[in-house]
Amino acid sequence: MRWFETPDFNFIKAHKIGYVISGILLLAAIIGIFTKGLQYGIDFKGGKEFTLEFDEPIEVVELRSALTESLGSTPVVKRFGSPRDILIRTDDERDITTVQNAILGAVEQSFEGNQANVIKTDIVGARFAEDLKRGALNAIIFALIVIFIYIFIRFKNWTFSAGAVAALFHDVLIVVGVFTIFGEIAPFSMQIDQSIIAAFLTIVGYSLNDTVVVFDRIRENSLLYKTMDYDEMINKSLNDTLSRTVITSVTTLFVVTVLFIFGGEVLKGFSFALMLGVIIGTYSSLFVASAMVVELRRWRKEAS
Amino acid sequence: MQGNGTKIGFIVAFLAISVWYLWPTMANMLEQNYIEGLPEAERVEYKDENAQRLQNLRQNSLSLGLDLQGGMHVTMELGTAKLMSELAGQDADSTLNKVIDAAKEQSLQNDTDFIDEMVQIFEQRYPDGRLSRYYRSETENITRRSSNQEIASYLKKQRDSAVDRAMDIIRSRVDRYGVTEPAIFKQGNSRVVVELPGVANKERVRGLLKGTARLEFRLVGQPDQIQSTRESIVSYYNQQAQSDTTDTVQQSSGQNPLLEVLNPRGRNPYSIGYATARDTGRVNELLQDPKVQEFVPRNIELMWGATPFQTAENGQELYEIIAVRSEVEMTGDVISEASVNFRRETNQPRVSMNMNAEGARRWARITGANIGKPIAIVLDGYVYSYPNVETKISDGRSSISGLGSVTEAQDLVNILLSGALPAPLEIIEERTVGATLGQESIQAGFYSTLIGLVIVAMFMIAYYHSGGAIADLALLLNIIFILGILAAFKATLTLPGIAGIVLTIGMAVDANVLIFDRIREERRTGKTLNAAIDGGYSNAMSAIMDANITTFFVGIILYSFGVGPIKGFAVTLMAGIVASLFSAIVITRVVVDYLTREKSKDISFG
Repeated sequence: MRWFETPDFNFIKAHKIGYVISGILLLAAIIGIFTKGLQYGIDFKGGKEFTLEFDEPIEVVELRSALTESLGSTPVVKRFGSPRDILIRTDDERDITTVQNAILGAVEQSFEGNQANVIKTDIVGARFAEDLKRGALNAIIFALIVIFIYIFIRFKNWTFSAGAVAALFHDVLIVVGVFTIFGEIAPFSMQIDQSIIAAFLTIVGYSLNDTVVVFDRIRENSLLYKTMDYDEMINKSLNDTLSRTVITSVTTLFVVTVLFIFGGEVLKGFSFALMLGVIIGTYSSLFVASAMVVELRRWRKEAS
Repeated sequence: MQGNGTKIGFIVAFLAISVWYLWPTMANMLEQNYIEGLPEAERVEYKDENAQRLQNLRQNSLSLGLDLQGGMHVTMELGTAKLMSELAGQDADSTLNKVIDAAKEQSLQNDTDFIDEMVQIFEQRYPDGRLSRYYRSETENITRRSSNQEIASYLKKQRDSAVDRAMDIIRSRVDRYGVTEPAIFKQGNSRVVVELPGVANKERVRGLLKGTARLEFRLVGQPDQIQSTRESIVSYYNQQAQSDTTDTVQQSSGQNPLLEVLNPRGRNPYSIGYATARDTGRVNELLQDPKVQEFVPRNIELMWGATPFQTAENGQELYEIIAVRSEVEMTGDVISEASVNFRRETNQPRVSMNMNAEGARRWARITGANIGKPIAIVLDGYVYSYPNVETKISDGRSSISGLGSVTEAQDLVNILLSGALPAPLEIIEERTVGATLGQESIQAGFYSTLIGLVIVAMFMIAYYHSGGAIADLALLLNIIFILGILAAFKATLTLPGIAGIVLTIGMAVDANVLIFDRIREERRTGKTLNAAIDGGYSNAMSAIMDANITTFFVGIILYSFGVGPIKGFAVTLMAGIVASLFSAIVITRVVVDYLTREKSKDISFG
């Protein structure tokens, strides 16, 4: 089997379309983030989360109203995978045991014969959440700085660093945008918490992997074809590595999809972020990172 | 080939080491299966007979994270502010307390060290002042002449030792509770993380961890003083209720909100009332009102009884609020022994305590001076009992009754004997996972790994033919290496960690994809197979290295940022990169060389 044996796509020309697509996606993401705000999960917001397993399937709406009565405030009540599993989030500030007893008491009263078991609890203090959020932000910024420096050292050209980091920003921003905009209608949790940050950093790592392979070929070709037009040389490099880019994306996409389907409820959001990331990361390696290098080089030439 | 001999040596050695490290894990799994298959009676016997060996196996096994085996993860923070004012002792004044409060806020906001902030704020506010006014220590050579910097390092030392002491105390409490393989470690400079696999009774653990075990003996307030306090509070809320009727937003009933939740007639003159367990929170809220606080005389404090004094007809348990004196007569550090026994008449559990010589002397004086009056025994801000003193007690004995159960009594003895925490520890994060959920996660992880592996393996063969099969062999060994590395570094396998392995399966073939695609390219330029293979491996190398080193950096950053399971993900990601580089570059090369050169067979890269 051979895909893209000797491809000859005009990526440089297609960059224009790329700008439009990326522009629309980024704009949508930014508008989404600004209007809705980041949808933080318990890790970054603090609060109490209880996952209950019922003996029988249960209606979310009924449970919500029963709990609102006993907790005195409306908690978030969501399915956690199967119709028997429910996730309840509340910012009730009372003692953990008190809140848990209030929940179980309400269940016992309103749903006779349908017993609930607490299978998972997460309680995060507001200050601790603040610390985690700061840590996550620092990690992302730190990762981008390290990557910028590494690429600068390896490729001795800041346009490459800028192109790679811009592509990473692009990827993460779009995934965050999807999580923000579709978070509420998704059948699984799409809130931004620690594991999603881990997914973002993995996306950064993956997308970079792709980008660096292309850059590596650009560096090689720039030595081999010194007389070739720069744009054309970049286009050739993209085509040379296209087969590998696609194959690796396919294998990675296979496994993250498997993880999404079979990995269980806890990993749904995480593996979904990775699925998006692999697709967008591959796209950005082909259409954004190298385009940035081309544009920056042109801009620098014009400036001098 | 000479070069390949060394490579094969490496591969065999690496494989042998991995298997050696993984051996206990496999043996442990087989043992567990065997034990589960035994009939109930033999099971216990077998476990007893092989206890030592089984424990060894478990300890050397790849350990599972709490998200996979179920259990409780708690992060606690030492109350540094409280510790700082306690260290100052009687020297603490409002100036220092304000500085401490400001430091608390600042350090939170800026994510800076509490003590650094404290020194800075103090110096800003009082340029001529010296912290040595508040802190002195003969053993640490901290005197009135010590500079603020010296004080700061002294305070940091004190905080470190407070955290260390807190950890020792928690360890001893947890040990007595009896959890297999608990993990207790320090995080940052004032946090302690406790991981308890397989714990089911969360409430009990919370009490055990949080209890500062600050035992106090206090006198109880004057009955007439208590009565007037009660009346003022009730009438305050009566007035509130009346003025509220005009305000439609508020409760419309016009009833006294306090009386809705609190019965102001205690069972004795020392109490200001009682409430059911579920109403205690609301009562606290109402009593926290600053206006209400003004009605409470300075020399008394309102505290809840630790256990219900009565169960109402509808099954609700009733708790009373006792007015105790603010002044502490004696604290629990004089307790030398504690044990559980039972009251003969009622068979109720109680904790008997013996005091040291000095404590006994003081106890004799206090009891002697208060014959006929009650003395409250207060633990961590709750009144356990307030018996009337009948005679002067000179042998230093005392007891705590009113305990709910024998376990509670035992936990209390445990807490008392482990010692008091140097400062309160607050639970700032708690996560628990049920055992069945963990089991489901393991299964989900296992199937994901298997399915991912099969799909990728089939795809590689379809796309690269025999080359793909070689990459698959490398992939399989790769997984053994990853697990071996994890076992060798005593890493903990978490659910995100398994996700890391699955992800690695997808990305591990990348190096081979790079190499094989390069070989195809070289072939297209007309090179012979051997030359193309040489060219493929060497030309792909720089791209492989660059791509993997950058991803490895991301792994390091994830590791340093992440907490708990995320760390596990980072570790497997990094182990995956190292293992996949080795297997994709070294192992496949050896096999490819063997097939093409020694067997002179044709090999296809699709």
